[in-house]
Amino acid sequence: MKLQKALSYSPRADFIVEVIQMVSGLLLVLFLWTHMLFVASILIGSNAFNGLSLFMEKNYLLPAAIVFLVLVGGAHIGAVIRRIPSRWAEQKIVWKHAKLIHHADTWSWLFQSVTGAAILALAIIHIAVVTYGGIDVIYSSGRIKHGFLVFYAVLLLLAEYHASVGLYRIFVKWGWVKRHKLHWVLGVISVLTVGIGATVLWIFFTMGVHA
Amino acid sequence: MIERELTFRIMRYNPDEPEKKPHLQEFHLTEEPGMSLFVVLNKLREEQDPTLRFDFVCRASICGSCGMLVNGRPTLACKTLTKDLPDVTTLLPLPVFKLLGDLSVDTGVWFRDMSFRTESWVHTDETFDPDAPEKRMDNAVALEIYEAERCIECGCCIGGCATANIKPDFIGAAGVNRVARFMVDPRDKRTEREYFEVVGNEDGVFGCIGLMACDDNCPVGVPLRDQLAYVRRKMASAGWRYQKV
Repeated sequence: MKLQKALSYSPRADFIVEVIQMVSGLLLVLFLWTHMLFVASILIGSNAFNGLSLFMEKNYLLPAAIVFLVLVGGAHIGAVIRRIPSRWAEQKIVWKHAKLIHHADTWSWLFQSVTGAAILALAIIHIAVVTYGGIDVIYSSGRIKHGFLVFYAVLLLLAEYHASVGLYRIFVKWGWVKRHKLHWVLGVISVLTVGIGATVLWIFFTMGVHA
Repeated sequence: MIERELTFRIMRYNPDEPEKKPHLQEFHLTEEPGMSLFVVLNKLREEQDPTLRFDFVCRASICGSCGMLVNGRPTLACKTLTKDLPDVTTLLPLPVFKLLGDLSVDTGVWFRDMSFRTESWVHTDETFDPDAPEKRMDNAVALEIYEAERCIECGCCIGGCATANIKPDFIGAAGVNRVARFMVDPRDKRTEREYFEVVGNEDGVFGCIGLMACDDNCPVGVPLRDQLAYVRRKMASAGWRYQKV
C-alpha cells in the first residue's frame, strides 16, 4: 500500500460505478423504447400523435424527459468514460487487438464506444431541435422532409445498436441468459425497434411531401 | 490425398538484439497426415532454422506452454491440427506476457503475481494434523472445484482479453476463475468481505467488460463465462452489504 492509495482508499468505489453504469444504461434503454412507442402513435393517426404530444406538454413531461436525460445520460457517460481507452497508445493497442483476434464481441465493444460518442452529439442536436421546434405532426413531418430524414435514420440505427449491444453485455456479464438465445432475442427486438422507427420516419417524410 | 504445401509466417524477435525489429519470417513445408503445430514447429527448427524459439512440454494440452496466436486466435499449438488451417498461417506469440523471443513468452511471472494478489491458497486457522484422517468433501463440491482447477495456465484467456492488453494489473479470467475455485472450497475460511477487497474492484471482476474472448478461446473449455458471472454476483452481493468498520 502506498500513501496516496491509503489516503484515497474506497473499496466500494469500483462496484458503485459499475452499478451506476448498468442502471443508467438500463434506464436509457427503457427511455428509448418508450420514446419509440410514443412516436409510433403516428401509426394510429395524426390526432393520436398530436394528442399525446399535447398531453406531454401540459403535464411537463417534456422538460421532465430532458432533466431525466441530462441526469441519467450524464451518469452513464461519467461511468462508461472510464472504460474507453483514453491514451493514444491504448487506442492503438485495442484496435490492433480487435483486428488481430477476429472476435465479433471484441469488435462490438469498439463500435459501442464509437456509437456512444456519436449518439451523444446527435442526441444533443435532436433534443435542441425538438425543444425549440416543438412536437407536432406538421412541424415534425416538415423537419423530416427538409433535411432531417438521414439524420434521424442514422440516430435510430446508432441508438438501437448501442442499446442492444449494451443489454447483451449486461446479460453476458451477470450470466443470466445463454448467449445464443440472447443474440436471438435482442436481434428480434432490434429489428422491431428499427422497423417501427423506419416506418414512422417514412410516414412523416411522405406527410411532409404532401404538406 | 494431395499433399499441401503449407506456408507459415512466424514472428521473429530476439530481445537480446533490439536493433532488429520484430518481423514475420516465411517458412514452407509439406503437410503430413495428422500433423499438429507441435510437429510443424519442431520440423522447422530441426530442418530449417535452429534459432527458432517456441515452448512445448507435454504436446497434449496439459502443460499450457504452447499458447500462441494462430491466425490471430489465442490457442494451444499442440492441439491445433494443420488440416484445420488454411494454406497460409500466421503465428504470433501471446500478447500481455513478457516476450522471451519469437513465439516464446513467460507466463510464469504473470501467473505467480496473480496468485499472490488473489492469495491463491486455502485461508484457515485450523492447525493441520498429519495423523488425522483426511476430511471428506461432498462430491458435488469437489467436482465444482475441479472444474476451475482444470485451468492449465496457458494464458490464452489473458492474451485474447482487450482489457488485459491495456491494463497490466487486471487479473483476467484466469485470475477470477482462480478466486472462484477458493470461494467454492469449504476449507477456505475467507469471508465475502475479504474476497471483495481482493477482487471486488477494477483490477478484479469489475474490470471485466464482458467481451468473452476468454470464454470463446479457452483451449480446455473451462466455463469462464460462468465463473466470471459467479464471482461477479458474489462480489456484487458483498459490495451491497459492505459496511465501513
